[in-house]
Amino acid sequence: MALIHIEDLSKHFKILNRRQGLSGSFRDLFSRDYRTVKAVDGISFDIEAGEMVGYIGPNGAGKSTTIKMMTGILKPTSGTILVNDQIPYENRIRQAQIMGVVFGQRSQLWWDLPVIESFRLLREIYKVDQAAFDEHMAIFDDLVGLSALYSQQVRTLSLGQRMLCDITASFLHNPSVVFLDEPTIGLDVSVKSKIRSLIRELNRVHNTTIILTTHDLGDVEALCRRIIIIDKGSILYDGSTEKVSQLFGVFRTLEIQVVGANEETTDLIGARLTERFGDQVGITVRPGEESWTAITIDQALIPLSDVLNFMMTTFPVDDVRIVEISMENVVQRIYEGALQ
Amino acid sequence: MRKYLALGKGSFMIGMVYRFGFIATIAGNILYMVIAFYLWTSVYEGQEVLNGLTFDQTFLYVALASTVFILFNTYVDWIMSYEIRQGTITNYLVKPIDHQLAMLSFGCGRTILNVLIVTLPTAVLLTLVFGVAIQFGVGLLLFPVSLGLAFLVSFSIDYSIGLSGFYTESIWGLVTVKETLILALSGALIPLQFFPEGLQNALLWLPFAAIYHTPLMMITQPDQDLAVLLERLGLQVFWVGSLFILSRLFYNRAIKVLRIAGG
Repeated sequence: MALIHIEDLSKHFKILNRRQGLSGSFRDLFSRDYRTVKAVDGISFDIEAGEMVGYIGPNGAGKSTTIKMMTGILKPTSGTILVNDQIPYENRIRQAQIMGVVFGQRSQLWWDLPVIESFRLLREIYKVDQAAFDEHMAIFDDLVGLSALYSQQVRTLSLGQRMLCDITASFLHNPSVVFLDEPTIGLDVSVKSKIRSLIRELNRVHNTTIILTTHDLGDVEALCRRIIIIDKGSILYDGSTEKVSQLFGVFRTLEIQVVGANEETTDLIGARLTERFGDQVGITVRPGEESWTAITIDQALIPLSDVLNFMMTTFPVDDVRIVEISMENVVQRIYEGALQ
Repeated sequence: MRKYLALGKGSFMIGMVYRFGFIATIAGNILYMVIAFYLWTSVYEGQEVLNGLTFDQTFLYVALASTVFILFNTYVDWIMSYEIRQGTITNYLVKPIDHQLAMLSFGCGRTILNVLIVTLPTAVLLTLVFGVAIQFGVGLLLFPVSLGLAFLVSFSIDYSIGLSGFYTESIWGLVTVKETLILALSGALIPLQFFPEGLQNALLWLPFAAIYHTPLMMITQPDQDLAVLLERLGLQVFWVGSLFILSRLFYNRAIKVLRIAGG
């Protein structure tokens, strides 16, 4: 039996349509016009114990809503959801004991107190015995060197330090499943990698099931063998991360800023690239933000270095950056049939 | 049980982080007592007893009322409305913990801190500087019990106000109305004995009187009939029970807003 079983799960919200302007506000007082938003619309999947699954999608796709149903905060509109054979919202207190949750932007630590006090409190809340607690703390200390932070007030921690503590805290009671909702949001690359290795180790130590929602495909590539992509409440893809990365890992966007760029620069670059590399589908050129030009390259067809070399020799290049494909772009390409 | 003790301890420690707040509170309370002292001195000008209370009894009643006001000020309503708006209330929902009891532990931690930092110094001040003499009687024994019950009534009201944060963005107006109602109708500003008799009898039945008047009566008039004292205590128990249950029902209702409409 799977640890998490979800079948035809839906969550619909009724949202008030507010009318515009002052007269609209008055009319809202008397008659209200609701519309239904299908945040999650008939999804099904099973997750086995010990799996690390990336649950991703663009903003408003229904990721957090699904997580909130799995943790028992939200009650589904219809469908089945079982975590460890229990309905989460019905056996809340018992279910909470086997779950750990990190909401990236909502810390569970006590803002005004030293870090260690939050850990002590969680020890009491989850009834973790002292020996297990000490063992856990030793593991965490090995992984991220937390003991240096113990006596620091939570509010004086950096965002990255706080997130490391929050994630650590969610594993303290050795839960069967941990939900990490946007654990790397707003963090720089080095902290992200620290957090990734922490999560990987925590999963390894007790074979904890981890559901990770994120905007950052890099998180999923680094951690999860399986990926579930959701958009507009429905599942677009559920399968191996490898397949997705193979497909999208080959795309890189080269962003270039040319000295003295104007409106025609993008067209000019496009024309020169077509001249040099032929009229292939491997390259798309479009204007980027401000005076940047974005060149998306399919590395399976043309090596990025060739394009870069050509650009450097042909144009007076001021600045260059290489960007990985974004979540929105991935979803777009799946819609266009890239994974079929 | 231990988890709630740990929560109370944490709340106690958080309270201690903000030292300046306590200095300001103690100074404000002393100022209030000085003003009350002169105000009631002039009210009692030339009279020994008013409405059955001596000056000492009235002043003790009023001074303790303002001290109890600070004592019961746990910020539970503000904390809850803040957590509802920020969404951090979900952190309670994913833990094996009862929200109402968690908030109660939080309030208790804060109140115990208040006892040590505000109430005890005030009591010393009252006896040493103002020379207030306390009468003896069976009421004195009941006073701690009554004060504990009063705290639970006050907490249940605060908790319900906090829950209304699920329905409204800002609970500021509600808190103001609550505080005004309680101050005016509980005896916290003017002892209930000074109200017209009809009004006084009506107010005695309300939960507000159970917060201030009842415990204050126990300590200022401890030599009353035991039957009267026990009747007041019984009414307090009634209010604790019913408000605790009502606010719990309110929680179950309010949390449905979150469960169904999203957080």
